[in-house]
Amino acid sequence: MTQAFDASNPPFDRLELREIETLRASLDVGYFTPGEVLIAQNAPSESLFIIIKGAVEERDGDELVALLGPRDAFDGRAIVQGESGHAFVARDETLCWLAPKTTVLDLIKRSPRFGAFFYLDISRKLDALEHEAEDQRVGSLMRGRLSDVFMHPATFIEADESIEAAGRRMRDVNSNTLLVRDRDRIGIITGMNLSKGVVLGRLPLETPVRALAHFDVVRLRPDDFVYEALLLMTKHNKRRIAVHDGERYLGVVEDIDLLSFIAGNAQIVAGRIDRAATLDDLAAAAAEIAEQVRILRRQGLKPSVIAEIVSDLNRRLFASLFAMVAPASIREAGCLIVMGSEGRGEQTVRTDQDNGLILAHPVNEAELAAFRTAFSGTLARFGFPPCPGAVMVSNPFWSRPLADFEADFRRWIALPDADAHLNVAIFLDAEAVAGDAALLAKAKAALMDAVRGEQAYLARFAKAVDAFETPIGLFNQLVTAEGAGDALDLKRGGLFPLVHGARALALEKGIPATNTEARLMHLGRIGMLKPAFARQCVDAFQFLAGLRLDAQLAQAAGGSGALVRPAALTTMERDLLRDAFQVVKQFREIVRRHFNLGLFG
Amino acid sequence: MTGWSNPWLAAKRLFHQATIGDQNYRFLFRPGPPDEVVAIDCETTGLDVAHDEIITIAAIRIRGSRILASERFEALVRPDVRIAPEAIKVHHLLESEAKAGALIYHVLPDLLRFIGGRPLVGYYLEFDIAMLNKAVLGFIGVELPNKRIEVSRLYHERKYGDAPPGTVVDLSFAAMLADLGIPRLSQHDAVNDALMTAMAYVALRDLKRRGARIPRPRMKAPLQPGGV
Repeated sequence: MTQAFDASNPPFDRLELREIETLRASLDVGYFTPGEVLIAQNAPSESLFIIIKGAVEERDGDELVALLGPRDAFDGRAIVQGESGHAFVARDETLCWLAPKTTVLDLIKRSPRFGAFFYLDISRKLDALEHEAEDQRVGSLMRGRLSDVFMHPATFIEADESIEAAGRRMRDVNSNTLLVRDRDRIGIITGMNLSKGVVLGRLPLETPVRALAHFDVVRLRPDDFVYEALLLMTKHNKRRIAVHDGERYLGVVEDIDLLSFIAGNAQIVAGRIDRAATLDDLAAAAAEIAEQVRILRRQGLKPSVIAEIVSDLNRRLFASLFAMVAPASIREAGCLIVMGSEGRGEQTVRTDQDNGLILAHPVNEAELAAFRTAFSGTLARFGFPPCPGAVMVSNPFWSRPLADFEADFRRWIALPDADAHLNVAIFLDAEAVAGDAALLAKAKAALMDAVRGEQAYLARFAKAVDAFETPIGLFNQLVTAEGAGDALDLKRGGLFPLVHGARALALEKGIPATNTEARLMHLGRIGMLKPAFARQCVDAFQFLAGLRLDAQLAQAAGGSGALVRPAALTTMERDLLRDAFQVVKQFREIVRRHFNLGLFG
Repeated sequence: MTGWSNPWLAAKRLFHQATIGDQNYRFLFRPGPPDEVVAIDCETTGLDVAHDEIITIAAIRIRGSRILASERFEALVRPDVRIAPEAIKVHHLLESEAKAGALIYHVLPDLLRFIGGRPLVGYYLEFDIAMLNKAVLGFIGVELPNKRIEVSRLYHERKYGDAPPGTVVDLSFAAMLADLGIPRLSQHDAVNDALMTAMAYVALRDLKRRGARIPRPRMKAPLQPGGV
């Protein structure tokens, strides 16, 4: 249809020009009055609908599953399977492009990339999307600005000053590079230039640095792109570029800084933690952990991989801190544990401390009290906010002998209240970080033993999967396009049911894994979930976690402040979000049926 | 709303029916399929009916609430007069492109068969029909007898039908599209204009059926940061 149909809108952007023309020529336009049914539930459809204006409700019986807005396309299932899973009903006056089923099926056959949009299961859709997202991320990385890259501060030295003076200046400012001022011209001198001059050139230490400096400095502005810096370095065979804002020098960027901007330096941070000799060394390393998240995400790593790296760094940090702060009596008798998301290895953007200490036997009270304060206090200073629920070492309830924990487990299970459920959930996710890991293993075995066969207890525990509804609100905002998105919805309606449902089933089946994805896959292996469905749950989890992480990063970077804004997502992401919530809903149903949650009001 | 309310037009139609020169086109006087209308738009060399000529014609059938864009009629016409420079600015059709078109008399048979007896829908339709009639009259001996549905009149009725005297009336195409939430396709392309007109028609007809009105801003339009 002439140029009127926007073919840049996914999935149509994957079509070749000629295919787009075929599609355009086949399009009609439908008008639907509020309340009119576009596709009935479990009915075939002769067209793929693409909304031009208005809003369409996707309904499962009486339940509103999603609200679709302009540029959304539906219903792939009715096209491919010949039967829609849900009903589609106009909410407002709605205009849609109508693409004939035969044309769409033909395009699916001809273009696998286009066809991927119509896969029924989210795993295959995500696979098809994967490398496209990757391309975008590498692109965005190269479009980073020089001002985002670590820069050595611009420190000047006069050309008449000596090699020795330059060496001392480098040590004082802790930089390997100085700018050399020689009347009107500016040069660069590095530690390597000095060494070569002295060792190979046998120059006296009093020699003015003019002789060793390079005056063919390559300059860029702070708002220039990172890729320009890389190109210039390659072209001029330079390892350093001076950054100049038009008035003055701001600093020097080295090739290694550019590379670490692109590749991250998680290994370096890990090494720094392990080598830390003082609390100050550790504090510096701790500050760098948070930055890794952004770098790794820019590289296009999945949130689960990022979380794994960050968890590893955090745990190293906690272990080092434990070694520095804990007296010998506690180091020998204790097991330091992390719980909650930190224990599941799903923490990316830093939230708060969730840690505890299990002791093999009672220790000196005064030493223990001093350790409690020192450990939690230092972590707070490192930028790990105290846990609002006080699930941390500083709380005597979470740092005590194993026997006391075990006594409480029995109480939590015999008299379960909201706090008890929360405590069981938090503790189930615990992982040992330092000290005797066997203590945690014993504690967990005791907890699982106490629960075994207690179906009524398990059901009450699992009941929390019903705590939050699927976040239709998210889609409402999409239509009004003005509400601030709400990451809580993503967490509560999407991530939480998966995390908690997997936890409840893991508790019942005695699965030791703490990571949600590992639990889901384990449930698939033992036949508790169909393996293919377990895979879909994992993919839905990763997709939701990725959206949440990106929103958190955007917020941390001082973006809009809003969290996940459906209107800011691409059509494809919105479509995947719908699919992900659909998987969550199915999973919740399975958990509900398994524990007979219908019986509990 | 339709030509029938005007006895003069009705009489003219009867007269034409009796005097049609080419009997092959009698179908124009028979009612079209029920629930079908045709949205039509012409781009012309200028706005003077007497001297200007048609450059492009687009017509799109509407069946019920479905706009059959895939079966549209579209023709580039070779004008006999030079295109006024102002008109080129409006529709970006250069004289050389228009020359590639067919003579209007070669286009008309297909257009007339496409329209048949269906009512015509347009925005300021009188002008388009007057332009067409210049050729149609000479071709088959009568003017287009079809019922006419003026979209701007429907819009006026839905928005200003109950307006107090003194209300400022804006019947511009842009205002109508904005009120109906219809996206602005690139304008002054006959197919797009006909399509937008068709969208406006189905939306307005539905509002009328449901007795719904388009709200008028009470006084001044509220400030909308970032525009609509």
